Amino acid sequence: MAGRRQGARRDTRTAYLLLGPSLFGISAFLVLPILVVAWLALQRWDLIGPRTFVGLDNVVAVAADGRFARSLLITAVFVAIVIPAQTVLGLVAALLLNRGLRGSAAFRVLYVLPWICAPLVLGVVWRWVLAPTDGALNALIGRRVEWLADPVLALPSVAAVTVWTHVGYVALFFSAGLRAIPDTVHEAAMLDGAGAGQRFWRITLPLLRPTTFFVLVTQIIATFQVFDSVYALTPDGGPQGVTDVVAGRIYYEAFEQRAVGQAAVMALVLFVLLVVVTLVQQRWFSRRTTYDLST
Amino acid sequence: MRLRPLVAAAVAALALAACSPAGPDDAPSGEGATTVTVRLWDEQVAAAYEQSFDEFTRQNPDIQVQVNVVPWKDYFVRLPLDVAGGTVDDVYWLNSSNFGALADGGKLIDVGRELADEQASWVPAAVEQYSRSGTLWGVPALTDGRIAVYYNKAMVEAAGVDPDNLTWHPADPAADTFLPAARKLTRDSAGRTADQPGFDPGAITQYGFNAARDLQAIYYDFVGSNGGRIQAEDGSLAFTDPKTVEAFSYLVKLVNTDHVAPSAADTNDNPDFSRDQFLQGKMALFQSGTYNLKNVGDGATFEWGVAPLVAGPQGRVSVVSSVIAAGNADSPRRDAILKVLRWIGSEEGASYVGEEGAALPAVTAAQQAYFDYWEGQGVDTTFFGDAGGRATIPAPFGPKFEAASTAFNPILNEVFAGRTPVAEGMQQAQDAGNAALR
Repeated sequence: MAGRRQGARRDTRTAYLLLGPSLFGISAFLVLPILVVAWLALQRWDLIGPRTFVGLDNVVAVAADGRFARSLLITAVFVAIVIPAQTVLGLVAALLLNRGLRGSAAFRVLYVLPWICAPLVLGVVWRWVLAPTDGALNALIGRRVEWLADPVLALPSVAAVTVWTHVGYVALFFSAGLRAIPDTVHEAAMLDGAGAGQRFWRITLPLLRPTTFFVLVTQIIATFQVFDSVYALTPDGGPQGVTDVVAGRIYYEAFEQRAVGQAAVMALVLFVLLVVVTLVQQRWFSRRTTYDLST
Repeated sequence: MRLRPLVAAAVAALALAACSPAGPDDAPSGEGATTVTVRLWDEQVAAAYEQSFDEFTRQNPDIQVQVNVVPWKDYFVRLPLDVAGGTVDDVYWLNSSNFGALADGGKLIDVGRELADEQASWVPAAVEQYSRSGTLWGVPALTDGRIAVYYNKAMVEAAGVDPDNLTWHPADPAADTFLPAARKLTRDSAGRTADQPGFDPGAITQYGFNAARDLQAIYYDFVGSNGGRIQAEDGSLAFTDPKTVEAFSYLVKLVNTDHVAPSAADTNDNPDFSRDQFLQGKMALFQSGTYNLKNVGDGATFEWGVAPLVAGPQGRVSVVSSVIAAGNADSPRRDAILKVLRWIGSEEGASYVGEEGAALPAVTAAQQAYFDYWEGQGVDTTFFGDAGGRATIPAPFGPKFEAASTAFNPILNEVFAGRTPVAEGMQQAQDAGNAALR
C-alpha cells in the first residue's frame, strides 16, 4: 500500500516536471502579459513619468473615441476581404499541387517563401512595387495608379499583399489535409458514378473540415492582429485613415501618443473579441466535423 | 533522483537569463574600465564619434565608450520604451520635439549645473533651444544651421534660372520670381516645361522643387518667411494663423495645381523621395539642411551648388534646429557620463565630427573644421550660416510636441494630397495637435 502511494507520488512529480516547461511558458508569456495589460488598463502612464491609478477612466476615453470603433470596423472589412480570398486561393493551390504534376515540390517551396519572410521586409519591397512614381507595377501596366495613396484603393491593396503573403501557408495545410483523405474513399465514389464536382463538394470539402477549421481559426486571429505589413505599407494609417487597423491603433496609442492605459484597454477588447470569434467558430465546426475516417 | 529538479531549475535559470533584455549594463568592458554607451541616429556622425572616443579613451584609460546607432525611423519610438524599461544608453541624442518630456520626467542629467563652465563655448541658439525650467538638459552636439537650397547646375543653367535670387509671394504674382523659375525647371517626358502649352503633369520626368510635408526643410521656413507661426508662445499650435494658412496654400498649390513638385502620394510616407529624385538627376532645386550635405556630396554624380533659402514676403526666415547629447540620470555611471559629455562638448571632441564633414558641430570653436572640409571639397557652405540670412522661426518646442505631430501629420497628409481644403485642414490639424498637447 505504502509502495503504491510512493509510486503515485513519484508519477505526480514526474508529471509536474514534464508539464513544467509548458506551464512556465504559458504563465510567463501568456497569463502574466494579460494580467499586466489588465493592470495597465487601470493606469495613466506615458512611459516616462509616474503611473497613476485612474480606475475606468481609460475605458470611458476609449469608448468615447470614435477612432477605435472605426478601426474595429476597418479590421472587420479587412478580415472579410482577406480570409475568403486566401482560403479559396490556398485550397485551389493545394488541389493543383496535389495532382503530382512535375515541379509541384518547387512550387510548394515558392508559395511558402513569402510567409517565411519578415512582414516588414515584404512591406518595404511591396511599397516599391506599388509606388506611384518609379513603382514596378505602374511601370508594368503603363499608367500611374496611386495604389497606397488613394483612399479607395489603399485597403484592397494592403489586403492583396496580405493574401499573397499567406496563401502558401494556407496551401501547405490544405495540401496535408488532402493527403490525409484515403484514395479508397474517392475510388468508391467513382465506382458509384460520382463526377469530379460531386467528389469535391461531397467528399473532399467535408473531409477537409478539421483542416479548414484550423486554417480559419489561425488565419482569422492573425488577420485581426495584422500590424507589421500594414504599417510598412501605410505608416500613418493610410489616406484618410482607411488602413487604420486595430493593432495599428493600439501601437499608435501606446508608442506614438504614449497613452499606455488606453492602448491596454484596446488590447483587452481585441483579446475578448478574438476569444469570442474563436469560440463561435469552434462551436460551428464541432457539430459538422468528422476527425477520424475510421469512425 | 534528487538531481533532476536541480537540473530542471538550472535549465530554467539559464532560459531566464537568455530571455533577459540586453542593456547598457551588459556592454563589454575592458579590464577595470567603465563602459559608457552612447546612442545616436546618424551613421556618418557615428563613424566620426568612433575616432573621437578612441582619443577620449587614450586620454581617459579608465573609460571606454561604445557607440550604438538606432535608425532615425525607430529612434523616438524605442527611446521611451527603453527609458521605461531601464535599458536606455548612458548618453543619448535628443531633438527639440522629444527632450521636454524626458527633462520634466527627471530622466536627464542637469548639464546646465554640472557643466556650467563649458556653456559659453556652445552655440547660443542651441543652449536656448534645450533650456527648460531654468536649466540646460544636454550638451549641444550638432546644429543644422540654416536651411538652404541644393541645386543641379546643368538644370538651372539650361532654364536660365538664378537660384541665388528666388522670392515667393502668396498673393502678388509680380513679386513672385520663384514660381516662374520652378515652372521652367519642371519638365514632362516630351521635354515640355510646366510653363509651356501641352505640358503633361501625369508624365513629369524632372521636378522643379521639393514642396512637401517636410517640417524642417519646407513648411516651417515657408510659414516663417510669410510672417506666420506654427506654435504660439505658450506652445499651443497656431496653424490657423492667416499667414500660416497662406503659406500652406502656396505649397499645396505648387504640388497639385502648378505641378512643379512631386505628388503627396510620393512624399507623404517617404521623406527621402525628394532627396533621391535630386540625387538621380530628376529634381532641379532641393531645399534642405546640412543634414543632407554629406548625402548629396557622396551621392550626386553631377555638378551641384548651394543657394540661399527661397525668400518670402518677410525675407529668408529659416528654422534652426540643434541636437543634444543628454545624460541618463538613472545610470549608475554618472561620473563617467559627465566626462564623456564634457568631451562631446569640447573643441577637441567635437572637431572629429567637423573634420569628416559629417555634421556641423554645435561647439562654436569646432565649426571651422566643418567649413574647411567642405571648402576643400569645392562646396560653398556659407548659406547654411549667416550668409543665408539671420531671421529664424522657433523650432518645435514643448514636452508633447512629438505626440502633437503624430496627431496632425495624417491631417496635413490629406492637405498636401489636395483632398482636404487647406483652411479646413489647418483647423483640423490645430485641433488634433492641441488635443494631443493637453
